[in-house]
Amino acid sequence: MPPETERRLAIRAPQNFVGGLALIAVGVVGLLAARELDTGRFFAVGPALLPRGVSFLLGVLGLGLVAASLLRDGDPLGRWPLRGPIFVFLGVAAFALSVRTAGLAVAGPLVAMVSGAGSPQTRPRELIVFAILVTALCIGLFRYVLHLPIPILIVPGVLVL
Amino acid sequence: MMKRLLLFAALLGLASGGARAAAYPERPITLIVPFAAGGPTDVVARIVGDHMSRTLGQQLVIENVTGAGGTTGTTRAAQANPDGYTIVMGHMGTHGAAPAVYPNLKYDPQKDFLPIGLAAGTPILIVAKKAFPPKDLKEFVAYAKANSEKLNEAHAGVGSVSHTTCSLLNSILGIKPTRVPYQGTGPALNDLVGGQVDYMCDQIVNLTPQIQAGTIKAYAIATEKRSPALPGIPTTKEAGLPEFQVTAWNALFAPKGTPKEIVAKLNDALVKALDDENTRKRLLDLGGVISDRSGRTPEALGTLVASEIARWNKVLRPQTAAK
Amino acid sequence: MTDLLANLALGFSTALSLQNVFLAFIGCLVGTLIGVLPGIGPIATITMLLPITFGFDPVGALIMLAGIYYGAQYGGSTTAILVNIPGEVTAIVTTLDGHQMARQGRAGAALGIAAIGSFFAGCVATIVIAALAAPLVKLALLFGPAEYFSLMVLGLAFAVVLARGSVPKALAMILIGLLLSTVGTDLETGAERLTFDLTALTSGIDFAVLAMGVIGFAEVLKNLETPELRDLAKQPIGRLLPGREDLKRSAGPIVRGTLVGTALGIIPGNGAVLGPFASYALEKKLAKEPERFGKGAIEGVAGPESANNAGAQSSFIPLLTLGIPPNAVMALMVGAMTIHGIVPGPLVMTKNATLFWGMIASMWVGNLMLLIINLPLVGIWVKFLDVPYRLMYPAILVFSCIGIYSVNNSPSDVLLTGIFAVVGYALLKLGFETAPLLLGYVLGRLMEENLRRALLLARGHFTTFVERPVSAGLLGAALIVLAAAILPSVRRGRAEVFTE
Repeated sequence: MPPETERRLAIRAPQNFVGGLALIAVGVVGLLAARELDTGRFFAVGPALLPRGVSFLLGVLGLGLVAASLLRDGDPLGRWPLRGPIFVFLGVAAFALSVRTAGLAVAGPLVAMVSGAGSPQTRPRELIVFAILVTALCIGLFRYVLHLPIPILIVPGVLVL
Repeated sequence: MMKRLLLFAALLGLASGGARAAAYPERPITLIVPFAAGGPTDVVARIVGDHMSRTLGQQLVIENVTGAGGTTGTTRAAQANPDGYTIVMGHMGTHGAAPAVYPNLKYDPQKDFLPIGLAAGTPILIVAKKAFPPKDLKEFVAYAKANSEKLNEAHAGVGSVSHTTCSLLNSILGIKPTRVPYQGTGPALNDLVGGQVDYMCDQIVNLTPQIQAGTIKAYAIATEKRSPALPGIPTTKEAGLPEFQVTAWNALFAPKGTPKEIVAKLNDALVKALDDENTRKRLLDLGGVISDRSGRTPEALGTLVASEIARWNKVLRPQTAAK
Repeated sequence: MTDLLANLALGFSTALSLQNVFLAFIGCLVGTLIGVLPGIGPIATITMLLPITFGFDPVGALIMLAGIYYGAQYGGSTTAILVNIPGEVTAIVTTLDGHQMARQGRAGAALGIAAIGSFFAGCVATIVIAALAAPLVKLALLFGPAEYFSLMVLGLAFAVVLARGSVPKALAMILIGLLLSTVGTDLETGAERLTFDLTALTSGIDFAVLAMGVIGFAEVLKNLETPELRDLAKQPIGRLLPGREDLKRSAGPIVRGTLVGTALGIIPGNGAVLGPFASYALEKKLAKEPERFGKGAIEGVAGPESANNAGAQSSFIPLLTLGIPPNAVMALMVGAMTIHGIVPGPLVMTKNATLFWGMIASMWVGNLMLLIINLPLVGIWVKFLDVPYRLMYPAILVFSCIGIYSVNNSPSDVLLTGIFAVVGYALLKLGFETAPLLLGYVLGRLMEENLRRALLLARGHFTTFVERPVSAGLLGAALIVLAAAILPSVRRGRAEVFTE
């Protein structure tokens, strides 16, 4: 490609470029999801008005942001370290999946330990002890002091606390 | 030898099953209330559950699981372990109108539940804003029929008691008012008091203070007898609209498969609670209606559920289909 | 006048009985301790603590409950400042500058000014309620759906002012918030919107889930990026409480915030939500150096916190006078009252004067309690920040997960929060701000509901919004606020609008 064209198409503000694309994507998803909703009868604004209108506006803003990213300088994308987000998400998901099937006594340490692994400074043994302590504290507080109806320990077929 | 061992084991199993039922309850029981804490059903559940806890010797822990007109919590109860440690306080909506209102309902009120017994019901009233022209029910009926399109009816959202009961009223009167939804009874009542909407059908619990203060007016109560909480309000029978009879009943259910002995124990505790003077007083003060002994059996509840499902099916399905 | 004094005397004699003072103290203390736990907002706190009030007489129980409520509110503000997790809607604004102050080692000053501002606001609000409750409510009843809609539009205009950086990016966030608020079952038709047939989404996205994920957890993720910096940047704590300079700067915002909060809190139907946002926008516009906002300006904490507490107190008015709860927390209070045998309504003021005036007087007592309890506690909370982050954040996550679960006993809510955490992190990395998103979400629901309701009642005539005087006035104000927010940026140059 000739150098001038290359320069013209350069993304000068990568962060805004990706941001703009993200907005367009959200807008498209919104429009798709609101497909089957009816836009309303004569005097009653239907359930589709806001979702469709907003999705459309988002798409427009996204396009604007993408255009601006090609014309003006902006922030670079920067580092996106994945260790933290992945472990935290897995930890929270583990809690969600285990709290009603295995109980808080299992879910608590799970979320603390799995998400704790997301920090480069974790010390595994310290984390395990801490996780168990915090969970014990929570069980005492929420179940026995506050009577929150949260399952503590479930062993299928044998035990339900 | 083998056969005797097997027989012995079977007998032991049966006996321990019976023993387990006899020992029930050994730990706290979860009572799922499919509505927000503080609402009418929740209050009834707490009052009744309080006394039942004492009879059963184990705490009845209330777990509020809200959503979708009460069906989210009811679905969870339907899928719970039928060991007697999870029961649900269902009501006219969740176990009567739900099949007609929610096409994708994930449970069957009759097949997925065993009735335990009726708790307390709250009668429905027809109320209107203070400045509304009609002075009594007869005038209201005439006015409504003549001015159907101009009317604004408030309700607490599709699937709520106020929506379902007013659907019945509207179909009896043959009117098609503009139905204005609100996020709950509070905001709806607010606009009624403020005069932004014309009329509403709702449970007595929510309305009594307003009626007594005169900020809204009540035309009739849709039960057989007048309510002691509001003795000045005529019944729909007295006022000329006997077809509008509806009470928002609340009842306890257990998931299907729960052992019969446990259901019987729960029913017993419920009946004792409803006999207790203190509990009765608290429920009656709210305007609640407690059925007599014959209406408190599981069988009576089962019959009620069947008839309610049929009734709401007739009233609501044409409306849901028309949307 | 003598009537008022007589009533207040009755109220104070009730509220200052030894038992009731004790109950108010316990209520505030317990409410604060539980409300401070990340993930546990006022509704969860009150629901959990409701049973402990059962043993007492109705007036005492209600005083205790009210104490729990104030405590929970303040606890929510504490978490907002310390760990950037807003306990409820009104604490969102506190996270903006409050948490920044904490990062700069000024957590004590932030917490202290929040307590002082709240106390002042509480005192003023109590007097307003005592003197003007009945007539104020009549005024508020003039608010119909059209007026609410216009008020929410004004709120959205505030959201734009809130933006720390580029306006279009903030707009985009507000729009996403609006979009998220439509997820769920449509109130009017019962149709499911944007739920992708997932049961978890049928009832919409809970505020706690969104706030926790997009603001709270995302903050955790951001901190994990540069762990070494965070631990090393432990500033010497310095002053634990606000200094003279802080107090001087905060005086104006506190007074203005109180006025704004009280005015908005009286409007039944959750007008109190807008108080902190309006106050923040006001202070930012009035400040001599608006760039300080968003980076730890104490005015950004003083004003909103006062508005917050004033709103919380004055939202009791519709409850005590009309018996109609203006929001979910008050609805819970109504339930609590009903369980105790008191049905709140217009007659409570006259039939049960002891209760009415006792509660009003105990509001003042409760505010005093909060101040007494919290100022010493500031030292303890600040010590918490010393815990190494690698241990603190798992603890935050455990509490938060339990808290989210307890809102509706639903594990899918917890999972949803996790997803929003990742989304929030991505948004932060892309240079977007998350506070406008939450505001868009809160306002979106209210706005759309009232828009459609107003149109239903007006049979489709859009002119209703300008025909009704209050509504027209509010819309006009919104236009002015928007212009004031956008024009300076436009003048600076169109291109720069996109890139700050």
